[in-house]
Amino acid sequence: MKKIYTLALTFVIGFSLLLAAGCGSSSASTTPSSGSGAAPDIKNAKDRGVLKIGVKVDVPKFGFKDPNTGKVDGMEIDLARAIAKKILGDETKIDVQPVTAKTRGPLLDNGEVDFVIATFTITDERKKSYNFSDPYFEDGVALMVKKDSGISDLTGLNGKKIGVAQSATSKKALVDEIQKQNLKIDLPEFGTYPEIKAALDSRRIDCFSVDGAILAGYLDDSTVILPARYSPQLYGVAAKKGNEGLSKAANDTIAELKASGEMDKLLVKWGLK
Amino acid sequence: MPGPFALFKWEAVFQDWRVFAEGFGMTILVAALALVLALLLGILFGMMGTARSKTLRCLNRVYVEFIQNTPLVIQIFFLYNGLPYAGIMLPVFWVGMLGIGIYHGAYVAEVVRAGILSIPKGQFEAAYAQGFSYWSAMRYVILPQAKQLAYPSLTNLAVNLIKNTSVMAMVAGGELMYHADSWSSANLYYGPAYVITGLLYISLCYPLATYARHLEHRLEVST
Repeated sequence: MKKIYTLALTFVIGFSLLLAAGCGSSSASTTPSSGSGAAPDIKNAKDRGVLKIGVKVDVPKFGFKDPNTGKVDGMEIDLARAIAKKILGDETKIDVQPVTAKTRGPLLDNGEVDFVIATFTITDERKKSYNFSDPYFEDGVALMVKKDSGISDLTGLNGKKIGVAQSATSKKALVDEIQKQNLKIDLPEFGTYPEIKAALDSRRIDCFSVDGAILAGYLDDSTVILPARYSPQLYGVAAKKGNEGLSKAANDTIAELKASGEMDKLLVKWGLK
Repeated sequence: MPGPFALFKWEAVFQDWRVFAEGFGMTILVAALALVLALLLGILFGMMGTARSKTLRCLNRVYVEFIQNTPLVIQIFFLYNGLPYAGIMLPVFWVGMLGIGIYHGAYVAEVVRAGILSIPKGQFEAAYAQGFSYWSAMRYVILPQAKQLAYPSLTNLAVNLIKNTSVMAMVAGGELMYHADSWSSANLYYGPAYVITGLLYISLCYPLATYARHLEHRLEVST
């Protein structure tokens, strides 16, 4: 019996809170002072003393594990350090975990990572599931082909195959462009970038397409990146819905880096600008 | 705060049911053809494993050991990305069907071989005494009996074969797992997507597994 009362009470309180949130916008809303730093998610991270961050390990310049040293480094790792400095006051207090397109959502949901900074393109659909920061990088979808194929634009790929990555928004960008130009191109999806490159090398596919800066990491003597860029992709730092404190900290860090010019330096450092 | 199983994610899955249906159909088609191939290869190589000729037995060992001791993932990857360097560009559907068929053929061969070996030698001798040749004795006397014994294990192999079609996802195979990965990684509604995918696999495998148990039970009763 007691349980039922507690349950009912929880519902009533929950409901009234919802109502308050819905209607209270006009009245003087009493938002908790952000300066207190009492957000439970931030406190949690502080207690732990380290930020858990999901990064890519197969994308040169952004997040890449050096096979010789075994260290993960890149522009996104530097960004993670800056966020750690902001929240914990120490930029070395990060614990990076490799994520793939398939694992980054689940890892955020189950709390294994606080942030995902892994060339994660912001879309409206994804915003329903996760909190995204303001973009820290903008890039267009590009095409990489074999030099000896003689292909110079999207039209040249008519009737051929373009390999794209799962969970990448590049597919949608390409589908739009293909429809606009009235072409017929097959778009097989692969789990990781090295798999797409392997398929390009074995000529399973005629073109490897993903965001331009990522593609640059896979350029070699036999391939060439075409100059065309399609629908700009915006990368954001993702956090779980409900971890508003963390999201805000990430956003503040990015805003500060942008204002101080540090962000530009970071991009230059990694050859992204 | 929407969790991985939020209602709108379920709605999205059911709205896009065609994506999953297409993959499901492809999985059934690949599994069916691969199963036929596996049975043909398995029976052939299984018989070779019990042949008197040393060369044939050797061929059986090479096939079985080589296939059983390398991961299916590598075999598929080789068919997909390795063969093109030799100028052989198999369509991805063939890669899946051949790869999975050849892989499970090795397991079927072992089951068939064990089945044949379990038939008492006297059966062979009796067949020879009746004027049967080796192959006709095999065809009319030994295999029908071995089949009874091998059936439950073969049905279990078929269940494994169906589940293993999911490796085709790795090479953009267009079957159920590929579509589940592709769909759920685009919008990140992975929760309901994989639950539905799992249920679809169960709908194929569970009846087969039950059938296998039924066969095993019948075997116990008859012996």
